[in-house]
Amino acid sequence: MNLDLTETQRLMQESLGGFLEAHVSLDQVRDLERNQGWDKALWKKLAEQGWLELVIRDGCEGADLVDLSLAVECLSRRAALVPFMEVAVCSRVLRASDADGATRSKIAEGDLVVTPALLEAVDDWNRIEAKVTSAGRLSGAKHFVDYGAEATHHLVAAKQDGEMGLFLVDANNARCEPLKTIGRTPSCQATYEAVPAERVAGEEAFIDMILLGRSLAALQCVGAMEEALEKTVQYARLREQFGQPIGRFQAVRHHCSDMAIRIASSRDLCFEAISALQAGNRDPLRPAAAKASASRAAPEVLMLAHQIHGGNGVIEENDLYFFTLRGKERSLAWGTVDECLEVIGERVDQPVDWL
Amino acid sequence: MIVDFRWSPEHVDFRENLRAFIRDWRTPELLQEYAETYGGGGERIGAFHRAIDERGWMRMCWPVEVGGGGRDTLYQYIFVEEMEYWGMPYGNLTFTSIAPSILAFGSEAQKQQYLPGIYRGELCFALGYSEPNAGTDLASLRTQATREGDEWVIQGQKIWTSLADVSTHIWLAVRTDPSASKHGGISIIIVPTDTPGVTIRPLHTMYGGHTNETFYDDVRVPLDHVVGEVNQGWPIIMHALNHERVALAATGALARIYDQLVDHLASEKADRLSDPVVRRSLAELQLELREHRALALRNAWIIAQGGTPISEASMAKISGTELRSGLANRAMDLLGRAGGLSADSLDGAPMDGRAEFNFRLSPIFRFGGGTNEVMRDIVAAAGLGLPR
Repeated sequence: MNLDLTETQRLMQESLGGFLEAHVSLDQVRDLERNQGWDKALWKKLAEQGWLELVIRDGCEGADLVDLSLAVECLSRRAALVPFMEVAVCSRVLRASDADGATRSKIAEGDLVVTPALLEAVDDWNRIEAKVTSAGRLSGAKHFVDYGAEATHHLVAAKQDGEMGLFLVDANNARCEPLKTIGRTPSCQATYEAVPAERVAGEEAFIDMILLGRSLAALQCVGAMEEALEKTVQYARLREQFGQPIGRFQAVRHHCSDMAIRIASSRDLCFEAISALQAGNRDPLRPAAAKASASRAAPEVLMLAHQIHGGNGVIEENDLYFFTLRGKERSLAWGTVDECLEVIGERVDQPVDWL
Repeated sequence: MIVDFRWSPEHVDFRENLRAFIRDWRTPELLQEYAETYGGGGERIGAFHRAIDERGWMRMCWPVEVGGGGRDTLYQYIFVEEMEYWGMPYGNLTFTSIAPSILAFGSEAQKQQYLPGIYRGELCFALGYSEPNAGTDLASLRTQATREGDEWVIQGQKIWTSLADVSTHIWLAVRTDPSASKHGGISIIIVPTDTPGVTIRPLHTMYGGHTNETFYDDVRVPLDHVVGEVNQGWPIIMHALNHERVALAATGALARIYDQLVDHLASEKADRLSDPVVRRSLAELQLELREHRALALRNAWIIAQGGTPISEASMAKISGTELRSGLANRAMDLLGRAGGLSADSLDGAPMDGRAEFNFRLSPIFRFGGGTNEVMRDIVAAAGLGLPR
């Protein structure tokens, strides 16, 4: 057992946090959002500085997933508009068939931007209708392809001869129609009409992808909550009413401490899930628990942040809304509260290793 | 070493040995004695404690210098969780709160005098903190100790002195300097319960047992019964309370309520697991328990690394105690009308009445050891840095 980060990980966290603070201006994110764009310049800088190495490497000390998660959390705390987590989950699949490392270097250089295209019209991971012919032509439609119009490639879940698989498709061959989501992050509906597709993995990889995506999306919720709490605490220290900082009023303090409790437990459930995946445990329970916890906590915590900010929290000049909207959007992505509770519910007759 | 939430093989081994040991000792007679004495002990509990001590488990995490085993404190976490899960007596607050305080603040002579007795299960301490007019505002306590020659003379009254009637000692908070500041004139004095002038009166409770009020009328104890420095008792109280909070945050008893609930609903007689609404409710309860466990484990980890969790201890105390009420309440709802039956009702009760009993018991945890409202203020100040 070890619940602490390594010194290297702490330094990495600090250094990425500093890098993002220097290179991501929230005013610029605001502009990008309004134009439904993504932060291409930041993506390039992340590649130049070697941060994209995190998504491809096996990691020193076998800790690649934990390192990756810390980066996802940092990026979420800075509201960065880049498909880091999307590329990360795809890279785990692609590297298995990347003997010479060519794909990996293209990813690390920022040139290959690949995003998952999994869900279809019915919000159900088990209902995949997209099909690939024996000649390798893929047809179908995917919903919620995050950064789908911005990516160079899609990793599409589809069936070939009745067998589930993941297929790499050139994004230029997909018809991408943008969706307007609450998070104001790029997402689209993608249609494929007999486009060339290369099979890169089977059903097992598809399931693993959901487990990792779920855990990372949970951590994105946590990042949004952490940032919202920090802003709220700052606000409560500065904002004065009745002649004193509102952070002296017990009602406000108690809201803040309830936020902190929700965040602390969700964050540890995320790292418990990530470290189990790292150890090769494919039990869906922990990722589901992490996501159910974070997805359930996020809206409650974010609404408390708004309650304390009052009117100042809802204007776009204030940064709080980034985290409110992204936090809720992420709470729906990769498994809602209900879906994840169902995963737990299906297993309630199995003994729990509580102690 | 990378982040890893799995127990080490040594910890798993210990837990398995402990579980086998508990299975052997968990007889109806022992449980009955525990229920009747509320942990204070009797012949069977004494024998159980001696058996624990023979295996070196009671003091396995204490420093080697005071006869401990010097193991990492995660072993104590496992020990407490298992004992709580199986509802076994293990010294409770004497073990989890008083012993660490004696270790941290006691004189060498006090360590020698009390610690061996605590780990053999021979000594039991009651906490003498609250007074009728000093509850959450504990520092306004008025029970007074005056120095007369080589003795302290104590006058006053305490309330919620649980276990005093079955304890050997009272860990008494007294005012030793009435002219000092509110927090600056308090000391901790260890008072043997059989000292003349100590009167114990039971207050019967809605959870079936009793707590006590205790009266101190010219109670005389030697000067060296003060723990730490005279008038420096407040930090000792805070230290002991912090340990108490960590213990109050234990997951074991809650996990047991959950497991018994699932077992009951899955049983042939109840057969409720085919209902998706029931499964959903259980999934929510399991999730909340997992969330709480994460906080409890984090505390154990911080302590094992030599740290003192303050904000974290308060967070886990809030979460665990509020979950206990919630869990008991929702378990009763799932059991239907039978959820309100007591264990000693006609033909018994589902879950041996554990949900019903915990519903009655659970309020005390939310205010005991520092109210959850004070805990939230601690999180806000110590954890988040909000102004006081």
